[in-house]
This record gives sequence, C-alpha cells and structure tokens, in this order.
Amino acid sequence: MATYKAPLEDMRFILNDVFQADRLWASMPATAEVTRDLSDAILDEAGKMVENLLFPLNRDGDEEGCHFDDGQVTTPKGFKEAFKTYAENGWTAFSGNPEFGGQGMPKSLAVLFEEMMHSANSSFALYPALTNGATLCLDAHASEDLKQAYLPKLYSGEWSGTMCLTEPHCGTDLGIMRSKAVPNDDGSFNISGTKIFITGGEHDMVDNIIHLVLAKLPDAPAGSKGISLFLVPKFLPDADGNPGERNGVAAGSIEHKMGIKGSATCVMNFDDAKGWIIGEPNQGLAAMFTMMNYERLSIGIQGLGLGEVSYQSAADYARERLQGRAATGVQNEGGNADPIIVHGDVRRMLLTMRALNEGGRALSTYVGMELDKAKFSENDAEQKAAQDRVALLTPIAKAFFTDRGFDTTVIGQQVFGGHGYVREWGMEQFVRDCRISQIYEGTNGIQALDLAGRKVTRNGGKYVDAFLADLRGWIDDNANEQGLDSIRERLVAAVDLLESTTAELLRQAGDNPDMVNASAVEYLDLFGYVTYAWLWARMMVTAAQRDDDFGRAKLTVGRFYFERLLPRAGALAEQIKAGPATMMSLEQDLF
Amino acid sequence: MPEYKAPLRDMRFVLNEVLDLDGHYAKLGLEEVNSELLNAFLDEGAKFSENELAPLNRSGDEEGCHFEDGVVTTPKGFKEAYAKYVEGGWPAINGDPEFGGQGLPGSASIAISEMTGTANWSWSMYPGLSHGAVATIEEHGTDQQKNAYLPKLTSGEWTGTMCLTEPHCGSDLGILKTKAEPNADGSYSITGTKIFISAGEHDMAENIVHIVLARLPDAPKGTKGISLFIVPKFLTDGNGGVGERNAVACGSIEHKMGIKASATCVMNFDGATGYLIGPENKGLNCMFTFMNFARLGTAIQGVAHAELGFQGGLAYARERLAMRSLSGPKNPDGPADPIIVHPDVRRMLLTSKAFAEGGRALVYLCAQLGDQVKLARDDAEREQAHDLMALLTPIAKAFVTEVGLEAANHGVQIYGGHGFIREWGMEQNVRDARISTLYEGTTGIQALDLLGRKVMMTQGQALRNFTKIVHKFCEAHGDNGELKELIEPVARYNREWGELTQAIAMQAMQNPDYVGAASVDYLMYSGYVTLAYLWARMAAKAQEQLDAGAGDEDFYKAKISTARFYMKRILPRAAGHKGAIEGGLDCLMELDQEHFAF
Repeated sequence: MATYKAPLEDMRFILNDVFQADRLWASMPATAEVTRDLSDAILDEAGKMVENLLFPLNRDGDEEGCHFDDGQVTTPKGFKEAFKTYAENGWTAFSGNPEFGGQGMPKSLAVLFEEMMHSANSSFALYPALTNGATLCLDAHASEDLKQAYLPKLYSGEWSGTMCLTEPHCGTDLGIMRSKAVPNDDGSFNISGTKIFITGGEHDMVDNIIHLVLAKLPDAPAGSKGISLFLVPKFLPDADGNPGERNGVAAGSIEHKMGIKGSATCVMNFDDAKGWIIGEPNQGLAAMFTMMNYERLSIGIQGLGLGEVSYQSAADYARERLQGRAATGVQNEGGNADPIIVHGDVRRMLLTMRALNEGGRALSTYVGMELDKAKFSENDAEQKAAQDRVALLTPIAKAFFTDRGFDTTVIGQQVFGGHGYVREWGMEQFVRDCRISQIYEGTNGIQALDLAGRKVTRNGGKYVDAFLADLRGWIDDNANEQGLDSIRERLVAAVDLLESTTAELLRQAGDNPDMVNASAVEYLDLFGYVTYAWLWARMMVTAAQRDDDFGRAKLTVGRFYFERLLPRAGALAEQIKAGPATMMSLEQDLF
Repeated sequence: MPEYKAPLRDMRFVLNEVLDLDGHYAKLGLEEVNSELLNAFLDEGAKFSENELAPLNRSGDEEGCHFEDGVVTTPKGFKEAYAKYVEGGWPAINGDPEFGGQGLPGSASIAISEMTGTANWSWSMYPGLSHGAVATIEEHGTDQQKNAYLPKLTSGEWTGTMCLTEPHCGSDLGILKTKAEPNADGSYSITGTKIFISAGEHDMAENIVHIVLARLPDAPKGTKGISLFIVPKFLTDGNGGVGERNAVACGSIEHKMGIKASATCVMNFDGATGYLIGPENKGLNCMFTFMNFARLGTAIQGVAHAELGFQGGLAYARERLAMRSLSGPKNPDGPADPIIVHPDVRRMLLTSKAFAEGGRALVYLCAQLGDQVKLARDDAEREQAHDLMALLTPIAKAFVTEVGLEAANHGVQIYGGHGFIREWGMEQNVRDARISTLYEGTTGIQALDLLGRKVMMTQGQALRNFTKIVHKFCEAHGDNGELKELIEPVARYNREWGELTQAIAMQAMQNPDYVGAASVDYLMYSGYVTLAYLWARMAAKAQEQLDAGAGDEDFYKAKISTARFYMKRILPRAAGHKGAIEGGLDCLMELDQEHFAF
C-alpha cells in the first residue's frame, strides 16, 4: 500500500541547516516575523494536516473522480468537507498579502508545504494552487477596487480562482487565441469564447469561482501583443460583496483524463460574461508572466511531491516483501526469502528515487529563497541577482522536477512488481497523476526552449556565467570542508562540463537557428543534473557536521548521486554537441 | 488518435531484405515457405488488425472486463473478433501439422503478432497466452495429452494460460505453495491460489487449459521441487469435447492501470484434477524451454507501443499548428506552422521511430534465430543460434519494452494537454505499455538473467559470439564511404562492450553484489549497442539497395537518415549507463535498510 509521512526531518535539514532560510527572512522587513520556531511549527502542522486530512482521500478520489451533470461539477466524496476544514484552518491564506487577510508566508516555506500537499493528494492540491495563481496576479496587477472585492474572500477560501488561457486550437501558442472582450459603457467588458483545460473551473467546494481570463479586445494587434486579462466571476458580487446574479459563464463538460481524476478539468464557455480588465489593455500576457515563475515552480513541485510519496511507499514495500536471497548470503534466516531491499538492483532503484527527490527538494527551497529575495529584498543588487537566478532556474525546476518525478514514480511502481500495476496498491496512480505535470503550465519542451533560448542564448549566456560563478565561488569557499573531499573532483568536472557545453550551444546556435530547440531538452537535463550535484555537495558538507544516522545516510545518498546518476550528464553533453543536423534532415513526408 | 496502419513496408524491409528470410527458409529446407507467401500473410494480417482489432482498442479500455460470480465477460466485440480470428485460421499458423497446425516457423508469424498487438494489445493477449500452453504440451506432453489438448488449442477453439505467480511470490518461484496430491488414477488434485493469470477466465472459448506450477508432496524445497500440471477448466469427454467442470474457478479480476480489456485473474484451484506434464520436480526446467519464446512475445509489446506512439504522434505533429519555425514560416498562409517543423518535436518523433524500427529489427532477428534453434539441420548451427537467442532475448524483452514505454510517453507529450485526455487514445498507449516492463520477468530480472546467467556464467563466451558477428559486420562495411560515420561508432561501442564486461567480471569476483548493482545499467547499455548494430545493418542494406537502383529511394534515404540520428543523438546514452556501472558499489550497499527514510 502507499504510505506517506511528511519528510519533516529532511525539510528542516534543508531549510534550516543547509540554507539557513531564517537568516534571509530576518533580513527582509516583509518576512522578518517568520522565525525558525514558527516555520518548524508550521511544517509540523502542515504535515499532520496532509497526512490526516488529505492523504486518506487520495485513492478514493481517483477511483470516484469528479461528476458532471448539467453544468454542475461534484467533487469526490470528502473533498468538499476537507476543503472546508482546510480553509477554516487558514491554509488557503498561507502566502497571501497580509493587507487583504493573507498570512504572508515566504515562498521558501511555501514550497515545502506545497510538496506535502502534492504528495498527499495531488488532485486536491490543485484547487488551492490555482487560486494562489489567481491571487498573485490580482495582487500584482488589479485595481484597488478589484483587490478589495476579491482578495479577502479568495484568501479565506470562501471563493476559489482559476486561470483561463488555453483554447481548443491553442495552448503553447497563445498568440492565436480567439476569445473576445467587448467594452461596455460602465467600464466592464463582455467576454465570449471557449476555454479548455480549466482546472477547478467549476466545482462544489466554494460559494464563488473567480476566473482570470485571457481575451482579445476589438482591434487588438494580432499575436501575443494583443491579449488582455480579465476577471470574470461565476456570480457577480452584490452590493454587500456576496455572490449575487449568475454570470454568463458555465462549464460545458469535464475531461476524462489519465490521472488527477479528483481535479475537475473543465471546458468553460463564456457567453457575454461580464468581466473587468486587470492591468493595461493588451498587456495580459505580461501580467500573467509576473506570477509565471511562482506557478511553474509550484507545478514542478507536483512532480517532486509525487516522487516522494512513491519513494516512501516503495522503501516500505522493499523492506517487507520477501523474494530471493541476497547475493552475499542469507540475510533473513527465519523467513523463506530475504526482503527485496537486500538486492543491489532494488537499492539502485530506491536510491535513485531518493537522490532525485532530495536534490529536488534542495533546489525547490533554493529557488523559493531566490523568489523571496526577488520580491522582498530591499537591497537592489541582491534583488537583481535573485531575479536573474529565478529566471534561469525556474524552467529547470519545472521541467526537471516533473521529468525526474515521473521517472521516479515509474521506478516506485517497478519496485512493487506486478502489484505496482494494480490500482489497489496506489503506485500506478502516482504515475498517472504525475504525467500531467510534464505537460501543463508550459510543456517541458517549452520550458527547455525558454531556458536554452530566452535565458541562455539570447543573452549570450549572461545568467549562466553568473550561476557558474556562484558554483565556483561556493566550491572555493568550501574547499577544505569535510564531506566534499570524496566528490570534489566530480563536482568540478560537472561544472566544467556545463560551462563547455553552454559555450558549444552558443557557438552552434550562432551558425544554425535550429540548434537551440534541437538541444533544449538535453541541455535542460544536463543543467539539472549539474545543479543537483552542487546542491548535493552543499547537503553533504552540512551533513558531515552531524554525527548521526541521518547525516551518514545523507553522505551515502550523496555519493550515490555523484557516482551513479551524475554520469548521465556526460552522455547528455555528447548528444548536445552532436548538433541538429540529424534531426532536421529528414523531410516531413518521409517520417 | 489516427487509425492504426500496419507498417508493411518496414516489416517487409526487415523480413525480406535485412534478414533475407527467403535464403533463411531455403537453408532450413522449408521449401514451401517464401516471401511471396509471407507477403500475402502480411496483407491479410494487416487487414484483420486494422479492421477488426484496432476499432475495439479504445472501447475495450473504457469498458474493461466484467466479473460476476466467477464469470468473466470481455468487452463488447471481443468475442466476435476472436471468433473471426479462429475462423480465419490465424491461431494455427505455427501449430504442429499433426494436430491441425500449419507448421510455419516463428519468423513467419512474428509480424502478425506485432500487428494484432499494436492494433489491440489487450485482445492479442488471449491468443498470445495460448502459445505458452501449446509449446509446453508439444514439447513435454505425452501422446495422449497431445491428442487431448493440441487440436482444440491449435484451432483456437480452446485457449490456454500459464499459472505461475502466487500472492507472495512472483520473481522468486522457489517459494511457491500450490500443492499437487496424487490420485489413485494417476491424476493429481491441485490446490492453491494463483494470481495475475492473464486470460484465466473469459467468454471467448469453450474451454481453458491451465498450465500450473505446483509442488508434489515431499518435493525438495526451492525451485527444484516444482512440477508442471495441465488443469483444464472443463475435463475432456474423451471425444475431443468438453465434459464435467473442474474445480478451478476465477475468484476475481484485477483493477489495473491498463490492458483493461485483458482479464487478469485470481485463479483458485480447489482439489482440481490435473495431469503431470514432464518429469516430476522438473517443472521449471520445462518452462525454460519456451521461456525465450514467451519473452520474445512480450518484447513485441515494446515495438507495438513505440509504433503506436509514433504513428499517433506523427499524424498530430503534421496537423497541429503552433508557433513558427525558427528558420522562417513553413506554412505562411496558416496562422502557425505544423509542429513537426520544431526540432524538439522531431527529436521525440525520431526517437520513437528509431525505437520502433530498431526494436522491430531486433525482435524479428530473435524470431529468425528461434527458427534455427528449432529447425536447423546442423547441430553446431542450432547450438550457435540457441546461444545467441539466449543472449539477445533478455535484451529484446527488457530494453525494447523500456524504450517502448519511453516512445509511448513521447506520443503523449507531442499531443500536449490533449495527450492526457482519454478520448485521444495516447495515454492508453502509455498505460498499456507500462505492464510490459513488469510481467514475464521484470526488467530487473531480465537484467540479472543477461549479466548473471548469460554473460558471466558462460565466462563471456555468449557475448563474444555476438560481438564477433558485429565486428565482422563492421569490418565488411568499414570502407564504404557512405556508411563510415555509422560503422565507426558501432565498432567503437562494440569493443567497449567487451571491455566493460571484463571489468564487471573482475569486480564481481570480489563482491557478488556487483552483478545485481550493475545489471540494469548493463542491460540498457547492451540494448543501445545492439540497436546501433541493427541500425547500421539496416542502413547498410538501404545503401546497397540505393546503389543497386532498386527504386523506393525515399524509403531507403529515410532509413539512413534515421540511422544517423540514432548514432548521434541516442547511442551516446550508453555512456551514461557505463559511467553509472563504474560508480562505486559501497554507496549502493552500505545504507542500513532502516535508514532509507527518516
């Protein structure tokens, strides 16, 4: 069976010991009240909440799925009640702006909370996740009136939010969208069009649903520069701010999906629905982009969370399941076979999962801290450097967490053998739930293109240079640290490899415009493996200062990462260097 | 999801041109079998798969199998399609002519298996499982047993199963508990529970013949105390018909991630009458005689899902418009270009194509070797084929299914969000593919078989036999200017493969854990190199046909182009696996099992 306990010890190790996040929080007025005691207590409570409230609903939610009947969506049994408890205990306000009733918790803490949510119940986690995106966007770009009218109820969890971008004919390429917004005399707009893949577009857990909708104004320029953003509530607020008249927006159907079946994915029909513009006309995509990095990191964390629950379940199973004998002799004298954890290949699978999960957790926390600096730091240089790091690392976090997360859930299933394929055991659900995370919020191919194109080649490798300098600076500063000695050479070689491969990418991209997109996915993977190597080194240096089982286990898993997983980077570099020629030469008709 | 089209051109290329089956059959003395016959077969098989089976694939997944009170009902249309399959004589292709079979060698039907499997893997498992039962009875049954069961199994009126796994044991059959008590009349009473029995119960055939592993009283412990029994659902009436119901029943069916139309049954044997087949306590040995064939049957599944993912992805990539090509608009009149212009989409398509076509070549090659194992007139030739097949089978089974799953995932990814939606069919391909790395020996078990049994236990001889073949191929084509860039990496990796194997052998002598720790990376490494050889071989054949002016230039050029892609962009992955193998062992074995999670 699937099992899950919030990995609190590792989370505290990373947050408090490796990164000393509380020092950062103390240095910025907006987060100065968040102490280590507070963050530890919050993580404890969050752990209890997800284990007791959300995890028990995960399997049933998948089996039952959402129901659609005549425009109404009913969530699986227990979801509505759980959401009420969740909201009442203030979890919906976690990262919100305190001015409107939010708790103002930093992203570096939120990433760990989000990870737990996705481990325990990914379908459920998506409802508040989408609301977070909507509130971030409103907080940054909406008028004061709109903020006053909507933010408090969204933070309290009485209402929820959505992001309506995709249309049937366009997802990746939003420039060709068709939804229209026609201005009314009162300053509002009439929105018409069809949006698909709208997570939480309709459901039964809240009193009102607030859609953030991309649409085109009349005479808007063609392409992505002619898109505006609108707020369209399901119910128009009445004079007291309560849900009043029903607006012209309705769910047309829900999708039948491979996974995240407890999450309602809706087709939303807007039929002259009343809406209000957010931000400036034709600046809709730019407004969305301000919260894009947060959202992408959050969806990346879905992969991480599912990788973690899959790992914990597989590790438990491997200790219990008896099959075969250890190659070095019987380990379980009393039993008719040894637990499968004695087998080298089962250990390879488990350690691969663990090394990727913990490396990912370190990166999510690191990027969370950089997001906090980018948003709250009052030191301009620190803020600018953080913005650059976020720009560089966000596509990596989103794609690498979810690609490795998917691999991890598949490995977890493999540890269970045939039982992993049977629904009752829960392992195959993690695979199905994780599969979407590689696709939505920008496919991983799009993330890779963002990295290799926008973030690397288009600025001549400026962000990468700064990042490499961070890495080399850290290696120099820690040259004599225990914990680094056994892997220092491998780490330096990995950093060198990233540098030389980036140079090669820039060189070939100068000659051939196809180079960037042809190498993007491998380049992102290479970047991910090297970044994890650095973060594993940081964890190992910190772990070497402890004299306990946790610290020793960290060092072992770290060595496993360097010896058994990092070699993948070399193969990726070779693929990248091979260039785009063999990918482009085949005529489209000859496939 | 577009309709499945059997890739007949590529199948013929592999069978007739690369593997030269005409020459192969002549050598085996099979005068009546030739490419003309094969081609006719392929055409008919394609029609049947495309028209009868593919349309039931999605609906079968949505509906699934039904279980009620011991009775299993297959999804709508399955029974009728099976009746047509039997009517068409398809189950009998490889059967022994003495019992109504057509006696054709395995290589003549391998493409048919691929087509039916690609069109509808769940459906194809019902006839697929019968092969194991037929092979077991043909090989080890008494004349009486053959007469009683083979005619109906060969015609397909009855189907068969293999009952191995029990709730507490799958990979480790030595600990199985099912019992066989001798009866006075020479039969046995079989009692126990078997799980994961594909086609254990269903409504498509009038009788189901189970081949069951069980222990005799006082049998030695472990794998040396297992015997094999025939347990029919209905006892035979002595006239080729069915009689009394036997005490075997389906207790439930599994709710699975995929292959939902294939009934995966818990089978309860409650003093069921069974008949010993083969010698006492030699059940596992008997199973091994056809294990390679059964594993090859699963290797086909990797090809099937890669092919389906590729075909689906390709059709969509040509139609779906999004963004502009980086080298300028390719569809200036449309709002955007078809996504096939984007290098990353091409990467996914070419990767899938390289795995589907490369996997096909490997599986068909194994089928050709299987013919030689059974039919070669020369002992040495037979033995050589046997050894080579033994080496290549775990690679084909595990590597081809692993990369088949990868290709199925690329298919989903190309569709973007639509790939996650059931109606489009691409996600089913992933769910169905996912079982293939688990059953019929997990990837980990295949890897141990390859590195432990096939390579180490022969002191590397089995591998050397193969690398020698590859070496000779490289020598023969190394001077061909057109092929040079394809041959060079194959030769290099082929050398390195031997060196890597030696290094592992040295380490394994010092620590037996080394084999298990290295095995899956070794298997994947071996798979990438083996496919590189086959891609080079296909390219060489394509070049030869171009040089000879054989026509069909586009097809041959595409082959060579895909081979180049494979060498440049896929084969380097082998280096990552080699690096992992060369990583230390301590980091893998030293962690206390209580310290895996805190």
